[in-house]
Amino acid sequence: MIELDVNNISKNFGGLQALNSVTFQIRGPELVGLIGPNGAGKTTLTNILDGAIKPSRGTVYLNSRRIDTLPPYQVARCGLGRTFQVTRAFRRMTVLENLMVPALAMHPTARQRDFRDKAMTVLEFLTIEHLANDYGRSLSGGQQKLLELGRLLMLDPDIIILDEPFAGVHPKLMEIIYEYITTVNAQGKAFIIISHDMDTIFTLSQRLLVLNFGELIADGAPDVVRHDPAVIEAYLGEEEPPEAMEETYLGKTEGDSKDA
Amino acid sequence: MSQSKWIWGLTIGGTLLLVLAPLKLQSQPYIMHIAIVAFFYAILASSWSLLAGYAGQFSFGHMAFMAIGAYSTGLYGKFVRLTTAPTHICKEIPLGKYWLVIMNIYGNNCLEAGKANMPVGTLIYRLPAFQGIILGALMGGLFGLLVGVLVLRLRAAYLALFTIGFSEIVRVALNAEIKVTDGPNGLELAPLFPRGVHILGYSFAPTDKLPPYYVMLLLFLLSMGIMHWLSISRFGLFIRSIREDEEAAAALGVHIIRYKVLVFVITSMIAAAAGAVEAHYIGVITPNILLILQMSLVIAMAVIGGLESLLGAAIGAIIIEFALEFLRTSFTIGSVTVDMTTWRLVFFGLLLMITLRFWTSGLIHPLIQRVTRAGVAEETVAKRKAAEG
Repeated sequence: MIELDVNNISKNFGGLQALNSVTFQIRGPELVGLIGPNGAGKTTLTNILDGAIKPSRGTVYLNSRRIDTLPPYQVARCGLGRTFQVTRAFRRMTVLENLMVPALAMHPTARQRDFRDKAMTVLEFLTIEHLANDYGRSLSGGQQKLLELGRLLMLDPDIIILDEPFAGVHPKLMEIIYEYITTVNAQGKAFIIISHDMDTIFTLSQRLLVLNFGELIADGAPDVVRHDPAVIEAYLGEEEPPEAMEETYLGKTEGDSKDA
Repeated sequence: MSQSKWIWGLTIGGTLLLVLAPLKLQSQPYIMHIAIVAFFYAILASSWSLLAGYAGQFSFGHMAFMAIGAYSTGLYGKFVRLTTAPTHICKEIPLGKYWLVIMNIYGNNCLEAGKANMPVGTLIYRLPAFQGIILGALMGGLFGLLVGVLVLRLRAAYLALFTIGFSEIVRVALNAEIKVTDGPNGLELAPLFPRGVHILGYSFAPTDKLPPYYVMLLLFLLSMGIMHWLSISRFGLFIRSIREDEEAAAALGVHIIRYKVLVFVITSMIAAAAGAVEAHYIGVITPNILLILQMSLVIAMAVIGGLESLLGAAIGAIIIEFALEFLRTSFTIGSVTVDMTTWRLVFFGLLLMITLRFWTSGLIHPLIQRVTRAGVAEETVAKRKAAEG
């Protein structure tokens, strides 16, 4: 079973405390949303989880192995994959080559041809198989996001962190990403999804973590978090939850979507 | 004919041309000389292309590694001998019935002094140039490892400045240590084949161009083969991903430290081996080879050929080396004489600027891509239409 234990994580950048004693656990294929206003510490937390930066205090265990002291490539090999807020497709490599990087990194003795079929299946799932030989730079922003998701499928981690997967994406691609998350989650992968798209994140998540000024101020089911006074006051800055929070992305028509 | 057959045909045809052409051209030593030097630059440009174009490590220290290889073999030839009796003065290592004698680097010539202790008839041998070349390549790799580790966290301009600094340190040290390196006068080296070559009934003098041509060609083909194999393997895939985005590559499981250091070691070894062979061929190596102008020449060759293509960089280097030599001939327009020994460099600089401005992929690389990716565009268009349909 997937087990992620984040214990009292704090991070200081000089005099700035970006995170303060953040603690939470993930057990099994949970679908967790991570929300918070700008500067709340979401990206810092993500960077600590994937090993890009080291915490000032605290520990992170993935499946009983301590990972906060490991470099990112080892964290990835331990089973934690992530995407970035700004898409980071390998622009001067073909789509297929993009997918081969994690596949070969995870399998030291394998060759590219061993993964060609799997890569094509992944691309078909993401509906971009016709772009297999195109360079990353020739893809649209949304397609590059799909490519990043494809790379994660090739990495095959236990926990997937998606940083703003829906930002700036065409509604049609958004549906594909939504389907990706639910399908892969049903296959037994846990997700931590960072998003400012309240409608979608409240619908999609089974559980929400709310960060504010580096502190975890709420951790619970979306319906509970939605009415949490601390969240309403600190995160939303309003006394009552806005109507948008009552709606869901899927409940809207494509034309209603604010990202359309 | 299929695309892959075209590629193989061109590769084999090109190799055969390079192997057979000198049999016709050996009576023209000037052309042979240019060809040897062109291969030398082709090795440097293509290995720099692997380092900078594939891995994104814009190092200006490539000529320093080349010089380390050249000086390593030069110093090996200058200070190490094989004798049939010990000197009892020099540092010496017994090797069966021989003695490996390492002469004093700073003090008096212990071998000369030690001759008094040696029995009459003692033989003293210089060691083969090929041992020095291998030593030079290993030394290049060692320094490549050192620099590779030191520049791990440096990128772009900082990496360039660091490696310029390294290159200058090597140049100044070589200039300053006159007793060891002969300083600005240059270190003399034995020819690749001091006794000439005798093969299949043919004899070649030590100064003949054909044997060094084939040695440099062999090194060129070997290094191109190794680098091509690396570029299409997981190594090539990983270093390109590092070039594109280190953090993203690491997050996908790529051990970026290992591959960044490895690419430095491999390209440094190749450059050092080329430097060692070239030094033996020319017969002397001076610290001036480390002037920034020389490094700029290699970079320009790689950029004009195609920075992200080993073959493009190599072909670019060969064409430019020949062009620079043939453009030496001055000419007169009316009463004005154009001194091409100087102006050719101006034209070369202009070509570089135009390439950078209008063809960032270089001039040769796009042509190669037209062959190697000829079917890709059609396939993609067909798939796209099918997807849209």
